[in-house]
Amino acid sequence: MNEAAPLLRMEGISKRYGGVRALERADLAVAPGRIHAILGENGAGKSTLIKVMAGVVAPDEGRMTLDGREVSFASPAAANEAGIVCVFQELSLIPDLSVADNIVISDPPRRFGMIDRTAQRRIAMEALARAGAADIHPQALVKDLPLSRMQMVEIAKALARKPRILILDEATSALTAADVSKVFEVLKRLRSEGMALLYISHRMNEIEELADECTVFRNGSNVATYAAGSKSDSEVVEMMIGREYSHAFPAKPERKPTDETPVLEGRNLSWTDRLYDISLSVRAGEVVGLGGLDGQGQRELLLAFFGVLRGLTGEVLVNGKPVSIASPAEARQGTIGMALIPEDRKTEGLMLPMTVRENLSFAALDHLSNGGVIDRAREQSLIDDMVKLLAIKTAGLDIPVGALSGGNQQKVVIAKWLMRQPRIILLNDPTRGIDVGTKQEMYQLLRKLADAGAAILFYSTDYDELIGCCDRVLVLYDGTIKRELVGAEITERALIASALNIQGEEAAMTEGAGA
Amino acid sequence: MSDTAMERLTSRMPKFLKRADPAVLTAFACILLLLFLGSLYSSSFLSPAYLLQQLKVASFLGVIATGMMLVILLGHIDLSVPWAVAMGAMMACAAAAYGPVGVALAVPFGVLCGMAIGLVNGIGVAYLRIPAMIVTLATNAVAQGLMVVYTGGYSPQDSAPDSMRYLATGFTIPGVPNAVVIWALIGAATVFVLTRTSFGRAVYGIGNRERAAYLSGVDTRRVVMIAFSVAGGLSAFGGVLLAGYASKASQSMGDEYLLPAIAAVVLGGTSILGGRGSYLGTVAGVILITLLQSILSVMQMPEAGRQIIYGLVIVVMLLLYGRTPANR
Repeated sequence: MNEAAPLLRMEGISKRYGGVRALERADLAVAPGRIHAILGENGAGKSTLIKVMAGVVAPDEGRMTLDGREVSFASPAAANEAGIVCVFQELSLIPDLSVADNIVISDPPRRFGMIDRTAQRRIAMEALARAGAADIHPQALVKDLPLSRMQMVEIAKALARKPRILILDEATSALTAADVSKVFEVLKRLRSEGMALLYISHRMNEIEELADECTVFRNGSNVATYAAGSKSDSEVVEMMIGREYSHAFPAKPERKPTDETPVLEGRNLSWTDRLYDISLSVRAGEVVGLGGLDGQGQRELLLAFFGVLRGLTGEVLVNGKPVSIASPAEARQGTIGMALIPEDRKTEGLMLPMTVRENLSFAALDHLSNGGVIDRAREQSLIDDMVKLLAIKTAGLDIPVGALSGGNQQKVVIAKWLMRQPRIILLNDPTRGIDVGTKQEMYQLLRKLADAGAAILFYSTDYDELIGCCDRVLVLYDGTIKRELVGAEITERALIASALNIQGEEAAMTEGAGA
Repeated sequence: MSDTAMERLTSRMPKFLKRADPAVLTAFACILLLLFLGSLYSSSFLSPAYLLQQLKVASFLGVIATGMMLVILLGHIDLSVPWAVAMGAMMACAAAAYGPVGVALAVPFGVLCGMAIGLVNGIGVAYLRIPAMIVTLATNAVAQGLMVVYTGGYSPQDSAPDSMRYLATGFTIPGVPNAVVIWALIGAATVFVLTRTSFGRAVYGIGNRERAAYLSGVDTRRVVMIAFSVAGGLSAFGGVLLAGYASKASQSMGDEYLLPAIAAVVLGGTSILGGRGSYLGTVAGVILITLLQSILSVMQMPEAGRQIIYGLVIVVMLLLYGRTPANR
């Protein structure tokens, strides 16, 4: 099946970070004119492999051959030179520069030592056209573009470097469905032009549609390579996690309508042009989901409850009593007992260079100290409990939390709030970029916390999660709640229809059929 | 490759060395090197009397650098040191001119004036969101203006009361100058605050990632404000000690403490971007700077040459370990 000689071959690549083995004798062969998908849990070594390939990190051992010649890259620039270009998950654009400036930033066309703006514009327009985003104006400032357009610029920027091997690391995670299909067309065209493409994604359906072959990584090594479509989803997941794929979601308890006072209630919440007249309530023991497309005000709504937003109008009630929460410090106080698991664990949830211990106890220090002095014995025992409860895998408590894998970092973020035993838990897309195994543990944990009486408000971009975890789902559209789905009404179809704000007959009919 | 060599090296070292920051070790190694070089020039550099004298001189800088370290740990900077020092000294001496009550309150009054400057800095940085570099430079100018108005532009007439002289030059413990004892006490308190209290954790947390600290429910603005106030107070206290040492305050007495204070903190391995650093390192940095100054002046290096060497030393040290290690 693999007639073409591999363009790039990696053999026995190993890389250690301190005591953690990120890659362990990993092999990979990339052929021209094919799309090669790489799958694996977070921490399986995918990112490290790509960083080695793109010259971002140097491997401890192993060899890489390009066109049969052995190569090693001293820097990303050297890898670019050799024709390997990577589109990373995190955007690398400079917001205050124009689209054209960004596209040619590493090697702008020069004339008499000055940047040739005409040539720059031409290159940018070509690259944008190749990326299927010709509608983006090259002189527009990047910061004025929506996130999904920025991602397209990122892809155009990669193409402008004339790659032979293009690596896309979760490059579609911020794209809208329309953009994803455009990008797919582009990728397929590039494949037919003979480019080698490496595609990394957590979305199985994307891989199914796009890839020619797939390689699964686990614990830093490649465990299997197979032709796309030759394995079922559950087989693939099994290979990824190395164990049976058990029930993904814990059973939801039977719920009857009650008139008990909600633990958290918002009435007519509005904030600038992002939130408009939102009313909702969450009772003890309930997991309420927030659905809808990304960026419809879900994030702002959670921040509003947590006291981060200035100029919020409307009323917030906790246990039926109106409260005014002006800061996270007030939100976490005993009488309110609120916790927010923020969106980005690296910048909002954790202090990466600080130790696991310091991060774990950071939000609960007021409970752990007498007169400002930390009671270290109590701190230790609570931390031990949390590490055990959440099964946090770490080489020790005194290593930087940044050395843990993504899933374990997220566990630390959650653990640091559970130490306060919050009664209201707000979660902002807590499973983004997390491996399957940790996700499942998280679902179990959410249900356990709810059963213990917590009120949970849970935003997720993953519809399966909303369907599997939530007792109710509120679908937001353009800053307002468009629809509330309860129990069996929570289906993928209903979620998508209301997320797109389709009040058409189709949606109404499914609803009618269900009733 | 060098990683494994480093690991092998560190595995042989005793535990306390393994835990120590390489920057702190480097600073201490530099101190030993300086003393060695000095002893080649003159054997009196190793005499106990000389070393004790250096420690005493170092303690003024040590007190000031303590405040600077707090602010740098937060990821900010305090450029109001020169006139916070001078203001503390001048106001303490001025208070002492008002009879016995004034003498009794001289030291606290001076420190309070410094804390006021620090409070303005803190409010500016934490609540008004002005960059620390700007607001502290501005308060420094204002403090200077106020002192010029107070003295009429002449050098201040009031002299330091006995209590201040005693603090700086007296001996409560035989053989150990009071200034050194004071620095030791302030240092011990700082170590305690930084390592054992929630305030200390908050300082490191804010220095590493202010947003994460804020979203964890830490009142970040209050922490920043308090740290700046303490820094202002410590600068002023350093000025009080200096006035006691010199028997009087003078207009530009604080000028020669800004750069050394920052240098001492950075040389001790505290990240100029905040979030990382130990007090032990600052102690090493202070002693290193003081020795460097002393040896250069014994060698009769002119002031200009000294300034150049400071600047160079800071740049070299930053090159050695001030940058974030390349993630390769």
